[in-house]
Amino acid sequence: MKEQQSIKPPRWVFRFLTFFCKEEFLEEISGDLEEIYQVNCQAHGKRRANWRYAWNVLRFFKWSNIKKTTRFNSNIVTMTRNNFKIAARVLWRQKVNTLLNVTGISIGIACFVLISLYVKRELSFDKFHEKGDRIYRTWTLEDYGGDQKFFYTNSPLPLEKALEDNIPDIEMAVQYNHNNFLVGEEGARINEDIAVASPEFFEMFSFPIVNGNQESPLADRTSIVISEAYATKYFGSKTSIGEPISVQINGENRVFNVSAIMQDLPKNTGFSFDMMISNKNDDILYRKEALQAWFNVSPETFVLIRENSTLAATEEKLPAMVKTALGDRVVEGEYTLGLQPLTDIHLNPEFPLANMPVGNPKYVYVLGAIGLLVLLIACINYTTLSMGQSMKRAKEVGVRKVVGAQKSGLIWQYLSESVLITFIAMVIGLVVAYLLLPLFNTLANTDLVMPLDFESLWVYVVLALAIGLATGAYPALVLSSLKLTNVLRGGQSSLGGKNVLRKSLLVFQLLLTVFLISSTLIMKKQLNYIQNEDLGFNRDAMVSVVLYPAPEAQGLGDNFTSGFKNGQLLKTKLEANPDVSDVAMGSHIFGSNGWMQVGFNDNNDAFKQFNLLVIDPYYISSFGIQMKEGRDFDPALDLDKRESIILNQAAVDYFGLTDPIGKKLPGKDFGNNTIIGVTEDFNFESLHSEVRPLVITQNDQTIFSGINDISISDSPTPKLVFKYTGTSLLEVKSILDEAWASTFPNEELRFDFVDEKLRLMYQDEARVNKIVGIATVLSVLIASIGLLGLTILIVNTKVKEIGIRKILGASPLKIFAMLFGDFSWQLLVAILLSVPLTWYLMSNWLKDFAYQIDIGVDMFLLSGVLAFGLTTLVISYHAIRAAKSNPVKALRTE
Amino acid sequence: MKGTYLGEFEELVLLTVGALYPEAYGVGIMDEIGKETGRKVNISAIHSALRRLDEKGFVKSEMGESTNERGGRRKRLFELTAFGKKALDEVQEQRMNLYNRIPNISYGS
Repeated sequence: MKEQQSIKPPRWVFRFLTFFCKEEFLEEISGDLEEIYQVNCQAHGKRRANWRYAWNVLRFFKWSNIKKTTRFNSNIVTMTRNNFKIAARVLWRQKVNTLLNVTGISIGIACFVLISLYVKRELSFDKFHEKGDRIYRTWTLEDYGGDQKFFYTNSPLPLEKALEDNIPDIEMAVQYNHNNFLVGEEGARINEDIAVASPEFFEMFSFPIVNGNQESPLADRTSIVISEAYATKYFGSKTSIGEPISVQINGENRVFNVSAIMQDLPKNTGFSFDMMISNKNDDILYRKEALQAWFNVSPETFVLIRENSTLAATEEKLPAMVKTALGDRVVEGEYTLGLQPLTDIHLNPEFPLANMPVGNPKYVYVLGAIGLLVLLIACINYTTLSMGQSMKRAKEVGVRKVVGAQKSGLIWQYLSESVLITFIAMVIGLVVAYLLLPLFNTLANTDLVMPLDFESLWVYVVLALAIGLATGAYPALVLSSLKLTNVLRGGQSSLGGKNVLRKSLLVFQLLLTVFLISSTLIMKKQLNYIQNEDLGFNRDAMVSVVLYPAPEAQGLGDNFTSGFKNGQLLKTKLEANPDVSDVAMGSHIFGSNGWMQVGFNDNNDAFKQFNLLVIDPYYISSFGIQMKEGRDFDPALDLDKRESIILNQAAVDYFGLTDPIGKKLPGKDFGNNTIIGVTEDFNFESLHSEVRPLVITQNDQTIFSGINDISISDSPTPKLVFKYTGTSLLEVKSILDEAWASTFPNEELRFDFVDEKLRLMYQDEARVNKIVGIATVLSVLIASIGLLGLTILIVNTKVKEIGIRKILGASPLKIFAMLFGDFSWQLLVAILLSVPLTWYLMSNWLKDFAYQIDIGVDMFLLSGVLAFGLTTLVISYHAIRAAKSNPVKALRTE
Repeated sequence: MKGTYLGEFEELVLLTVGALYPEAYGVGIMDEIGKETGRKVNISAIHSALRRLDEKGFVKSEMGESTNERGGRRKRLFELTAFGKKALDEVQEQRMNLYNRIPNISYGS
């Protein structure tokens, strides 16, 4: 009896050891390994110990330890060796064929690897936190019936404490927020994004601290944690603990001391900060009322659920907590609090955006599928090619069978060939992917890196093996089951009738290729459309500058007034330049989503929402926005500054106004207001959504007095825009630098080109389009290689037929047509079949846009013509050569 | 004259075999080298070195008792042969000769 069940190293590894190791060494080697294994198990856990055990066994796999007398397994070893030897010879003999095969599969693998890197990055967002499976983010749904529904994932300031106090299942709650602050002393200030988080932040999330206070880096209100990159940027060293950094908060300079330096954040996390201070500073960051307010939301709150509790158990206690915290301020059911897993945030667009970026999961899956498709195309390519090749090999099979080869032996023989090919292709493909990565990053606007570690090596080896077996399986089966008598008697009729399978594989491959071509074209067309669509305003050469409101400005209204006042100074300077025209100011500029949205109860007590734009009287004319009715603001009129408002057509429809000029907004509490004009609808947000109701005013107070809800995602800091009429865009910076430096010498200048920002709104789509485009080019390349291989093959097998035909009087053209005809109908079938597939999938994609193109017949015609052109090009050379060849040469042999 | 040369790593292993007598075996030697020099050596390297030393006649070995932590397998215990000891002495002597000849000036400046 055994005294206790001890942990054993993995059996299959041990089996491998006994398989190869010489008897006389086996006992001491396995004993030593077992001893090390047990030590590792204690020290590092079973998983690590298993890996190290396997690694050590592998290290013992060397010549001096390997059994030389292969009595037991001799046949398998010898045969495998022989198989690979023969495979290498065959591949070497058919150089062109091998080259085509290897190239095709390498390209497929390279493409697959590149895309999988991107997909892996997207899927791995925030999955590395040690406690990640217990971390959740809170969300809130306020539902007051009707349209008055608010769903958000940021949270009120007092929530953190309320959660920690009232719910025992929660180990800790952490707030996370980030904001722009001016950093540095007067004279050299830079605008930096600083995160504000609870002291336990680094306890909850696994972001390693490399220097300084490891335990509680945010314990003091004057502590600041900075990244290694920023430590280098500010102090030139990565060990600058205790150094002071001054940050301007609400008009006051406050000095923080570096308490810790953390590793730069990885790329696959939703958090993004290089500086972080403690939320103990909330009392100087926010007004007193905000600290207590439950309906004023800003940071995100994360909770860590205790190990012995569950999500359900925690969520169950949330309503009671809401009741305790909010009391009778809300009726039951109006205010719901919930939890969303941390790992779910990045790819779940159902939840509204807060600080953490959210990607479109559809794109990730689509790209993953496309990566697989290209790989599939490459595999099919190889299969069809090697099946064609098998005709040539029939005699070889016959001879082998006569000498006594078993069926299984033959299968292994042919599989070794395909495995050998895929391994070569894998190595080349990986190198190609590695070399192409920088190009891919530039094109797709990503920053991926290729991991070079053991784990991915294993994946690649397994992948190569799988591809090799999958692609080789069918040809191997066909070849090995040839009937001996048929083969040796001669003639090739024995190869399965009309090769239905081979042909359908080819059609399928062409179909996928044509599908990729059409999709790329359609996506490109849609992107061109939305980027060049007339948005209802001028965007060419428009430059926007973020203005600088005085630090002591409190609240939105003050912010506007002060910003506009400062803007006036800048405007005067800029207008002196002959290349600058159409200067205007406004709270929002085109090219960013999330303009200020406000809500109010109208005269019938129905909740209505609209976007609000606060501008100076020149804004509308600067952007060339068309008035539909009434007039634009008049800079000379004082009345306009006080109470005139302008609506867009969507707002007129939404409020149900007829003949709106001279009327008022349909709310009770608005200040004095008169509608003086209506603009044509212009797309002030991205074309994913329809134009929403918009109210334009010069006096924000008129509107603010009448609303009961406000939400802003785009920064409402006033901005100045102007049109640059000069020739060199580079000069814009110098013009601005000069004007800015003489107006606000201590502040940082931030400016953008409006058309550039508009382009960035479709960055996601552009990236997908680029990646799909790359995949398409590669798949076309693979398909061409496949076609080329097939042409060579067919020409070779039909040499005699062509010779006889020519002797009987067929013209070269006829012969070319004969060779081409076979492919062309397969291609035609492929194109026809691809139409419904493309149409279905692409209309689904287009649904994401409020403004979309029609998928016209022209797209399909274009891709059809492209495919045909390519096919002709690829086939031509060999077909023409065959058609022109001297028939005597072909018929002389035998 | 293949076989009489003593490589640096071999010398280290040989010394350890001598030092650990009578309990010198694979893992023990690996641990000892790790402890004494801080070098992380793979167990397979130790085995190779021991086997080479054995072929050269510097060490001899026999199987020891079986222990539980090794899954009931026996250790192969190594010990220095007289020839091995002599080889070590020679190496040591050569080193000392050269060492003693270092003039003070050569590490000055």
